[in-house]
Amino acid sequence: MTQLPTPGATPAQPPPSEPIPAAAPPRPRWRETLGLLARNPTAAVSAVVLVLIVLVAVFDETLAPDGPNDQDPGRQLQPPSWAHPFGTDEFGRDVFSRVVLGAATSLRVGFLSVAFALVVGTLIGLLAGFYGRWVDDTLMRLMDVLFAFPAVLLAIAIVAIRGAGPANAILAIGIVYVPIFARVTRASVLGVREEVYVRASRSVGASDWRLITRHVLPNAAPPIIVQTSISLAFAVLAEAALSFLGLGPRRPNPSWGLMLADGRGFIEQAWWYTVFPGLAIVVTVLCFNLLGDGLRDVLDPRQRTLMAGGGR
Amino acid sequence: MTSLSKAPQPAAGPVLEVEDLRVRLRTPRGTAHVVNGLGYSVGPGETVAVVGESGSGKSVSVLALLGLLPPRTATVSGRALLHGEDLLTMSPERLRQVRGPGVGMVFQDPMTSLNPVLSVGRQLTEGLRAHGHVSKAAARARAVELLGEVGLPDPGRAVDRFPHELSGGMRQRVVIAIALANSPSLLIADEATTALDVTVQAQILDLVERLQTEHGTGVVWITHDLGVVAGIADRVLVMYGGRCVEDGTVDDVLERPAHPYTRGLLGALPDLAADDGGDLATIAGTPPPPTDLPAGCVFWPRCPVRGDARCETEQPPLAPVKGSHYRDKGTSGVPGEGQYRDEGTSGVPHRAATWCAEGSGS
Amino acid sequence: MTSTTKRQVLVSARGLEVHFPIRAGGLLRRGTGVLRAVDGVDLDVYRGETLGLVGESGCGKSTLGNALLRLVRPTGGTVSFDGAEVTAMSRAQLRDLRRRAGMVFQDPFASLDPRRTVAQTVGEPLEVHGLHPGRQARAARVRELLELVGLDPGVAARYPHEFSGGQRQRVGIARALAGEPDFLVCDEAIASLDVSVQAQVLNLLRRLQRQLGLTLLFISHDLSAVRHVSDRIAVMYLGRVVEVGPAAAVAAEPQMPYTRALLSAVPLPHPQLERSRRRIVLRGDVPSPARVPSGCRFRTRCPDVFEPCPDVDPALQPVGSAPGHVAACHLHGVVGTPVQRERPGEPVDAGDPAR
Repeated sequence: MTQLPTPGATPAQPPPSEPIPAAAPPRPRWRETLGLLARNPTAAVSAVVLVLIVLVAVFDETLAPDGPNDQDPGRQLQPPSWAHPFGTDEFGRDVFSRVVLGAATSLRVGFLSVAFALVVGTLIGLLAGFYGRWVDDTLMRLMDVLFAFPAVLLAIAIVAIRGAGPANAILAIGIVYVPIFARVTRASVLGVREEVYVRASRSVGASDWRLITRHVLPNAAPPIIVQTSISLAFAVLAEAALSFLGLGPRRPNPSWGLMLADGRGFIEQAWWYTVFPGLAIVVTVLCFNLLGDGLRDVLDPRQRTLMAGGGR
Repeated sequence: MTSLSKAPQPAAGPVLEVEDLRVRLRTPRGTAHVVNGLGYSVGPGETVAVVGESGSGKSVSVLALLGLLPPRTATVSGRALLHGEDLLTMSPERLRQVRGPGVGMVFQDPMTSLNPVLSVGRQLTEGLRAHGHVSKAAARARAVELLGEVGLPDPGRAVDRFPHELSGGMRQRVVIAIALANSPSLLIADEATTALDVTVQAQILDLVERLQTEHGTGVVWITHDLGVVAGIADRVLVMYGGRCVEDGTVDDVLERPAHPYTRGLLGALPDLAADDGGDLATIAGTPPPPTDLPAGCVFWPRCPVRGDARCETEQPPLAPVKGSHYRDKGTSGVPGEGQYRDEGTSGVPHRAATWCAEGSGS
Repeated sequence: MTSTTKRQVLVSARGLEVHFPIRAGGLLRRGTGVLRAVDGVDLDVYRGETLGLVGESGCGKSTLGNALLRLVRPTGGTVSFDGAEVTAMSRAQLRDLRRRAGMVFQDPFASLDPRRTVAQTVGEPLEVHGLHPGRQARAARVRELLELVGLDPGVAARYPHEFSGGQRQRVGIARALAGEPDFLVCDEAIASLDVSVQAQVLNLLRRLQRQLGLTLLFISHDLSAVRHVSDRIAVMYLGRVVEVGPAAAVAAEPQMPYTRALLSAVPLPHPQLERSRRRIVLRGDVPSPARVPSGCRFRTRCPDVFEPCPDVDPALQPVGSAPGHVAACHLHGVVGTPVQRERPGEPVDAGDPAR
């Protein structure tokens, strides 16, 4: 058969070893994520505002000028002034103080209920997505049933059975969000499970537990993180709704939802009574949503390589 | 397979003439110089193969010709004359008119170039009816005819099928049928057989050659596979770092490569025909990113020869390879070879962008 | 290469089958048929050799590679690894198999976890099997492995996205070698790489095979590459191994029409040779593995099909002049199992994909 005259002049010197691209020093992934997030102005501002709101909730007693139920009998339903920047309510309580003190209640209910939903829902989604077959069928049909109930009705039912109060509100909201987390996690896991690196890890003998914790969960996490942020927004809203309906924290404890409910009766005389707690809810919910959107962009691997300048 | 079988063409000019094509793309990492002064021409019935590895700019160069690059990020300059009409300065409206009857395209993945919700027949007749006033029935009849022509079994029933019902090879045949629906004078195939198995690839290559002979279509065949090039091309253009580093007839470039890159590429191929040798020759390193091309010769950082002091600082021009005049004595035995040779010597010089050809050419 | 001395079989498959149920969607999920990805494969891999497994997409070569390591569960037949029955292994035995048999995957961009460093990826088998215990010993072993595959040990802390395709594939090879395996399955390990990088990886695999005395199953659709690295070549068509033999014999004197067609279709980078060569262009497409033709499964496309082909399922029989060269083809004598039909004389299903 034909011979090439000189099939590729053999290298005179030993070939230099392939240079590794001089990339930035290895950065932990979360640092990179934070860096990218900082370049997304909306998400960055949202994150800062949320941090402020959390700080307010933590240091509420220091920040609030008055106690939650300190009354100023002569000054009921006063419009905003220097003494009472958000005005006063029908008992002469300082609305600003109550909004500040209510932040803790609202956020606590929000965080704890989402934490519950996150843990339970992610676990269910992981098992269903990773093992498939009857595990998937059983768990996800259960989730479908749970999902079929209108959320508020489910919460009302739980509270009706167990009684009103913050703990039950947390449980109720948490249970409502479990199927959402289960579905998001399952969908994400289904994609990751088929990745070659999961098969590769299995081929060297990794156990299921190891596959799930080291490979599947970390790679399936981005949509779950986004969902967490968005669910926090809805949980804060749900807490407000439950309080509004009288199913959450009880009077006279301050809570944004309760204040909204109480202020409703005075909306024509005292707009500040409803507007300021309402604004607090809107800002918090909006920030969680915007942060969620920002995270969605930042955690998207395609976006990531584009912005960080790595990849193929 | 042999180039002599090409139908004699009326003495018209080249179908496509590309001159000094340059493409720059804006990327987050800076400006990418993807194509840097590419020039070639394709005559009627001629096949020009553009060879290169990923990132060599071979695909971008044709996308640029057809105005298929995102205008916001891409800057294209140079000239690309299709029958004397510049594709690069054409109005979008005119370009759309030209794409069907003037230029047919076949891309690597037949699934993505077909619309999954339309039947094969619909997609074929759409092209036919967009570029000529044809009745529905006539278009359908022509579609069946075309599918038969590209060798689809039972074309009468195949027209009503959907892309997902066909195998990869059949899909690529449909794509070719669509590309050829308006009898274009130029066919551009970008890695058209890369996703296919060798036996199917053989079918497609045969098909393209047959259609080319029948219609006198000029073909630009973009591939990384030097084996395919050897089988299908009349002329070869080797791309590296957005430049043409070597061009010439397929025999010159593949049998008497002058550029160290071409040699490396050929040496890196395991050869089914030759006996099991030792290790394959390799080219150390990876191609330069188009955002950060070397100052001198594009191949310098990986070049095993580096025979000239200028290599590091200056890009060698594409110049005729010295001592490449031994066409007369070679290649006996294949009938008709001489005829092709005459044509070759008149129009196709063997050129390489290197200074080290003379030194180590033996 | 083709030593006639007694060779030890390391991996062996007998009548191996991997059938996947085809499920229709919907509530009841009834099985509507089976996909015969691997359908009765007999194959031996000798210790210390490189066996090339070629075939076109969908022929089941990857599934076969996975089934040999029980990464896919066989639905029939047996596989033995160094004398132990793979299909009947206990958990502990299976773990040991995972250490002793490694796999290199096709796509180096997909086979490395993007969230784990090179050291974590390469060190995973060490962790899993408790090899080289201790942080320092493990790190030292990882460095050693990286050097073995031609990477700078300093890259251990880097993430995969910082590497080129060839470098990633080296990382994948280092991971597969971490447990000091006897057997390495390379599943299309060079298919996604550029030509010049392919050569680097091929050279590396050959070097490692010699240096470590590995037994290599090199699965690829690229006949030239298989010919280059293999001692023996096995050809697969539609779930069955149809020809096996010494690499030189299979490449130079293929005995089964399919192998002939496959070889003739491989484009060679020699223009004059290409012009004079006669390609055997096969008719039509490969039938679906859900509708395997009766008898010889290649008969629907075979240029040499004759009378017994639809009626007798050909078995591998010695062919040609080279020792150990076998093919499943009636042209060398009608050997095999007669096809069972419900009614004698019934027309045989052609298994035409167009139907």
